[in-house]
Amino acid sequence: MRALCWNGVNDLRVETVADPAILNPKDVILKVRLSTTCGSDLHLIDGLIPTMREGDVLGHEFMGEIVDVGREVTKVKRGDRVVVPSFIACGQCWYCQHDLYSLCDTSHPKPELQEPLLGYPTAGIYAYSHAFGGYAGSHAEYVRVPFADTDCFVVPDGLADEDALFISDAAPTGFMGADFCNIQRGDLVAVWGCGGVGLMAQQGAMILGAERVIAIDQYPERLAKAEAFGAIPLDFTKVDVIDALKELTGGRGPDACIDAVGMEAAGTGLQHAYDRVKQALYMETDRGTALRQAMLAVRKGGTLSILGVYGLMDKFPLGLLMNKGVTVRTAQQHGQAYVPRLLEHALRGELTPAALATHRFSLEDSPTGYHMFKHKEDGCVRAVFAP
Amino acid sequence: MNPVQSDNAIKAAARASVTIGRPADELRTLWLDPGTQSRIWTHFAEVNPLDGRTAEWLARGPAGGEYRWRSEAVEVGPDEIRWSSLDGADVPNTGQLIFRPAPGDRGTELHLEVRFDPPGGVIGEAVSKLFHIVPGEIVRHALYKFRALALTGEIPTTDPQPAARKGGADR
Ligand SMILES: NC(=O)c1ccc[n+]([C@@H]2O[C@H](COP(=O)([O-])OP(=O)(O)OC[C@H]3O[C@@H](n4cnc5c(N)ncnc54)[C@H](O)[C@@H]3O)[C@@H](O)[C@H]2O)c1
Ligand SMILES: [Zn+2]
Ligand SMILES: [Zn+2]
Repeated sequence: MRALCWNGVNDLRVETVADPAILNPKDVILKVRLSTTCGSDLHLIDGLIPTMREGDVLGHEFMGEIVDVGREVTKVKRGDRVVVPSFIACGQCWYCQHDLYSLCDTSHPKPELQEPLLGYPTAGIYAYSHAFGGYAGSHAEYVRVPFADTDCFVVPDGLADEDALFISDAAPTGFMGADFCNIQRGDLVAVWGCGGVGLMAQQGAMILGAERVIAIDQYPERLAKAEAFGAIPLDFTKVDVIDALKELTGGRGPDACIDAVGMEAAGTGLQHAYDRVKQALYMETDRGTALRQAMLAVRKGGTLSILGVYGLMDKFPLGLLMNKGVTVRTAQQHGQAYVPRLLEHALRGELTPAALATHRFSLEDSPTGYHMFKHKEDGCVRAVFAP
Repeated sequence: MNPVQSDNAIKAAARASVTIGRPADELRTLWLDPGTQSRIWTHFAEVNPLDGRTAEWLARGPAGGEYRWRSEAVEVGPDEIRWSSLDGADVPNTGQLIFRPAPGDRGTELHLEVRFDPPGGVIGEAVSKLFHIVPGEIVRHALYKFRALALTGEIPTTDPQPAARKGGADR
């Protein structure tokens, strides 16, 4: 089959590879209908995540049709149109049973690569380096999905492929970030980043009852999407974000701040320059401009919800959190806990994930899609591939 | 004992623990199933169970080295299983698995220890050179595989899968 493969920093190629096969009894094979780019892929493409290997098939946000089933699959069947969360979860272990799916105890085939870094292995994920399991990704004609009864969610008939697609990753990640904020009546929520994850966090916060949502980014077309969703847009290159947030919140500060930016934050000023130099020298992996700003902006006793992916940041102003009594919540997405309700919200039109699908490409043209996504050309929010 | 020796002794005695949300007797039965032993040590050795109590082990080292031994259960109790290599082993070793109830609803703790005693007294670093894997990794990975097997009936794998190398598949 054909697949988009990682071959090194900024080197993506569509190549011919073997078809996936059922390896374990709870596996299915999916014929991919749609697969999309994620901000997390940019960290791989830019070489900030170690343990990628040349020839790895990329892609972890996808939906498709089941074409082959393992002998112990009982709930889903051949012909089902399904969406699959990006983290692979067994549904049986303590973590899965406590809705902490991205921490699954049993889905990582290469724990020895990850345990030295994190202390314990996490769940495996599609196409996110060998330290995260090394599973082949979805930017391909077919993809193998383990634990299909836990990880495949049938898409209801009334829902378009484009809507279901983002319920794989961007939507559950964003929604989880809003859920972390424990939103109460009158709460104001500020979201850094208006990519797929940030936009879905903004809609999530609205669904969960936020009084107001404030969206921060610098790209006009992304801010316009946030505004269309009902958020108040803030361009961090045009205003002093801290001042603007104080004004919008009557001096209190946002009750909750969500970081949907991650380690490649854009920014200005001295701290940003310091991060940039260290990252270029591989002395650290992270530029934490947005995260530091969110730590400063959040109200006393508020919540900081971190969705952006970080490596091992060495300069982290912990005192801001400690002295302000901030609650920090963070995780890789526990998608399986949210997908059923997100499918409902999307069916009712309360969640509109298809709005992220700004550009569509064939699999053969996927390298162009990544280029546009990475450089945010032509207002690209998510490039969608139809193999 | 000088500090260097004691350090090596620790390295040669590999220990790891996991907690599995299942009752001890069920885990004990699964551990003693010959099919289980041949599946959970694959990162380290081929294990061929001869019967419920004895098995043949073949560990491969770097540069084609092969090390063989036969192991035999020396104690099979409700809370503890112990085994030992028999005379003539290329790398004599002993193993011990202890089951303990975990607190609350967390199931059972498994504590696994394997001690290697290579001929000539080389231990620690030497064991990792012998097998190309550090002793701690041998036991940790075996327990993780066992945990996956106990909870899901399968062991996670990506082998083989599509990749643009080695003729299109990763092995
Ligand atoms: N926790 C999870 O499970 C999970 C899942 C998916 C993605 N992620 C992570 O979430 C982050 C966002 O993902 P995405 O797909 O939306 O990425 P994206 O690249 O599409 O969007 C990131 C946005 O952040 C904006 N940004 C950059 N610097 C900023 C700053 N200083 N202030 C405000 N905004 C800034 C960019 O302009 C961009 O619009 C990434 O780090 C990604 O790795 C995490
Ligand atoms: Zn993602
Ligand atoms: Zn699990």
